[in-house]
Amino acid sequence: MKIVHLADSHLGFSSYSRLDQHGQNRIEEMIYSGFDQAIEKIIQLRPDAVVHAGDVFHHVRPKIKPLVIFQRGLFRLAEMGIPVIIISGNHDAPKSYSITGPFRLFEGLRGVHIAQRYKYERFEVGDYNFHCIPFCLEPRDYLTEFERIERSSRDVLVMHGLVESLRSRKMRSVGEHELKDSLLKSDFDYIALGHFHGQTPICANAWYSGSVEYFNFGEAADRKGMLLVDLEKGTVESVQVRPKYMIDCPAVDCSGLSSEEISECLMELCHDYEIRDKMIRINLTNVNRAAYRSIDQGKINRLGAAALYFKIKLQFNDEAERSERPVDRHKLHEEFSNFLRGEASQKRIPKAILDEVVAYGSELMKKAVQSRNIEAFDASQ
Amino acid sequence: MCEGILVQEADLSAFRAKLGSEVEQALPDKKVIRKEDTTYRIISKSVTEYQFIVPFDLPDEERVEVGQIFSIKDHDEARGRRLTFLARVLDIQHGSNYEGNWDTTMKGTQFFDKEQIFNRVFAEPLGCVNCDGSFRRSRTIPTKFSKVSRAERSEFKFLKQVMGDIEIGYLRNGSRLVEEIPVALHSDTIDHHMGVFATTGMGKSNFMKVFAASCMRLAARGESKFGLLIVDPHGEYLKGKGSIKGLMHLKRYRDGLACYSTDQKNSKDPYVEELAISKGEVRPEDVALLYEWSPPQREALDAISRIFEAGNWLEEIQSPDGLERMMQEKFKDSTVNVLVRRIKNILEKNKYIQGRSSLANMLANLQSGKVVLVDIPRMSDRSELFLLSVISRYIMEEYKKDEREGRKNCLITIEEAQRVLGAGSNTSRFETIAREGRKFGVGLCAITQQPKLIDKQLLSQFNTLVIMGLGDRNDRIQLEESAKQDLSTLDIEIQTLEKGEAIVSTLNIPFPVPARIHRFEDYLRRLEKDDANEALISRGGFRPFLE
Repeated sequence: MKIVHLADSHLGFSSYSRLDQHGQNRIEEMIYSGFDQAIEKIIQLRPDAVVHAGDVFHHVRPKIKPLVIFQRGLFRLAEMGIPVIIISGNHDAPKSYSITGPFRLFEGLRGVHIAQRYKYERFEVGDYNFHCIPFCLEPRDYLTEFERIERSSRDVLVMHGLVESLRSRKMRSVGEHELKDSLLKSDFDYIALGHFHGQTPICANAWYSGSVEYFNFGEAADRKGMLLVDLEKGTVESVQVRPKYMIDCPAVDCSGLSSEEISECLMELCHDYEIRDKMIRINLTNVNRAAYRSIDQGKINRLGAAALYFKIKLQFNDEAERSERPVDRHKLHEEFSNFLRGEASQKRIPKAILDEVVAYGSELMKKAVQSRNIEAFDASQ
Repeated sequence: MCEGILVQEADLSAFRAKLGSEVEQALPDKKVIRKEDTTYRIISKSVTEYQFIVPFDLPDEERVEVGQIFSIKDHDEARGRRLTFLARVLDIQHGSNYEGNWDTTMKGTQFFDKEQIFNRVFAEPLGCVNCDGSFRRSRTIPTKFSKVSRAERSEFKFLKQVMGDIEIGYLRNGSRLVEEIPVALHSDTIDHHMGVFATTGMGKSNFMKVFAASCMRLAARGESKFGLLIVDPHGEYLKGKGSIKGLMHLKRYRDGLACYSTDQKNSKDPYVEELAISKGEVRPEDVALLYEWSPPQREALDAISRIFEAGNWLEEIQSPDGLERMMQEKFKDSTVNVLVRRIKNILEKNKYIQGRSSLANMLANLQSGKVVLVDIPRMSDRSELFLLSVISRYIMEEYKKDEREGRKNCLITIEEAQRVLGAGSNTSRFETIAREGRKFGVGLCAITQQPKLIDKQLLSQFNTLVIMGLGDRNDRIQLEESAKQDLSTLDIEIQTLEKGEAIVSTLNIPFPVPARIHRFEDYLRRLEKDDANEALISRGGFRPFLE
């Protein structure tokens, strides 16, 4: 059995406020067209099933257009008789039981299997069992839901979240759920992961397919696309949907360059990288502030007009070395506990009540932070 | 007649009364100790040893035992004496008021004189407690004939103030428990290294589980100050065996535990990660531990890191190109073939060596203060050492790097530590940790049955000792000679320790403390059931003042 694994479509994402001739956000439109292209590519590949590992939509309450685009894609796959397995991700799952998620619209469609109610669901497609753990409200729930899996001899696991071992490669965002590496059992035929936007193997049988699109310059070096997985042979093949269109240029040292020379340098870079319809960031360091100001800004704007997104990141030579302020990584409840213990050591808090205050207060803070984080997911609409 | 007699008797008693007062006045001013006051009173001897006598035929519940702690109340308000001395029984001997063997001499069918025989108790001073309850070492002796009594719970209260945060058992007074006084080690002293010494069956595994459970509790509550690494070659810590429970059974604090296993059955559990070490993380010096090597083979092993890239040498040396490069360095093909064959064996036997690696996660968990349990049942002795070597090197290298804010210290547990910390062992890695680890926040917890085999200098770096019965005199001598606190007087007690009993010697606690280690299953039940503060939270017992 062959499956196509994709994830993180984020339909409805818009950014950088570049509009096309119809007044539509260019990035948003690009994402829709990318999704359409991905569907057509899947049809060409003729897999036995498609797995989408979460974050189909960018929002919990998407606008009509992303819903239509998604519905169109589903219908195309259904037309071709390709079953689809989908789980909700942290972006498109409601963070409260009382909210209805967008996937309810697509329930009951033939050949479409959606796990979206914060709980484990198993779908039998072909000879394989697809064990799906969608976005859960509590980090601990992933382990509890995993315990409900009853294994057969042919099993595929689908999950959405950042696995522990990727911790060092990505700054964790607030409220992000971490998937324990202990869930990545080697005896699954395949583990389809979503959430991390770069195409990455985690171990022999577990992969992030990555997203088809770029969402910020932190992803410029990532491999993008989908994965074609042969479950019998255990092979995984990368499928590119469209050519790389994000470029984060290596820094150019502008020490001693005049305004003409900087301008020339910019022109050359734009020419070399063929910036039309690309997202490009040019990084200039040690730039003379006066020299840069005397460059015709209109010229720079015209230079970048052809690009989907064009940014020049400057570091002026008169900027003092930024001393990095150490980031305090203490969690709020740890900070609270440390503070109280410090106060108690100076006898500002009676020792008799210290432990009770610390324990009760820390617990309240943990709960408050957790609930705030969960709300934050819904706030980006 | 009758009257006359009466008069005479009255005169006689008056005479007697007069005579008595004159006799008393005539006697020298001397205190006479009555017979019932002779026992349980300090009668000798010095600042380093107290002696008192007790009746020789005490009922069982009053028997004096080695290890018991007695209090000596040297109280006399009028004279301004308010000290309470504490002393621990070191030995008990038969004694009498006669020289030689008079006390056992027969008189007819009876022993000669029961009145003159007793038991003499030798006790070691622990220190003294002031009237304000503070404890200090004693630089004086109690007043002669001060009353001695078995120390009460209230007299141990000062110990509560000096105990740490990792509870391991209750204070023991002889064979009696003092349940109100938990014995707890200090997290702050853990990077000073720790030793757990006991012969088989004395409760080492139980101790380690109790210790780990207390650490899990701290970690889950965000109060942990160090991460604890336990590599378990017997597969008994994770889920236990039969009725014996494992750490996974402590569900309440499971967030404080990270488990890795090579056992297929155990690793099916979602809380247990399949152990994986990537090939790039194995170094030639780890492989060196697994076999005996001839001098040319060892030389070839040493040369590997020079010839190949560190991350890829395991693959490269097995390729024809690798063999050629080794031969270019003048190594014989037979020597290299032995290396390659053995490497293939290692990879074949240790299936956990693959592309993925658990080490970064392990490190992150340790640095966040969790208990990391590596479950490797049925692994051979050498394979276990090899794995421990890979893991501890990785940890040490990472801890040597700049300290990340909030990073917790780390304690690496080594079972059968005499294998790697023995004089003349070729595993210098662990010795390096013992000698240098503290600088970087890495401590060792050495568990062994034979402290006599551990290098004396290394042993002297161990500031926390948990001794649970050592029959071998040489083991005891080795410990006594290297311990930071004086253990020489405890020789008899260490010999007579029963299963689950321990002597705990650590910094911050002023004298070696007798303890009964909790039975893990009982401790588990207690932790799951009630934790004062958390119970308070769940029922909302505490309310801020403003309410």
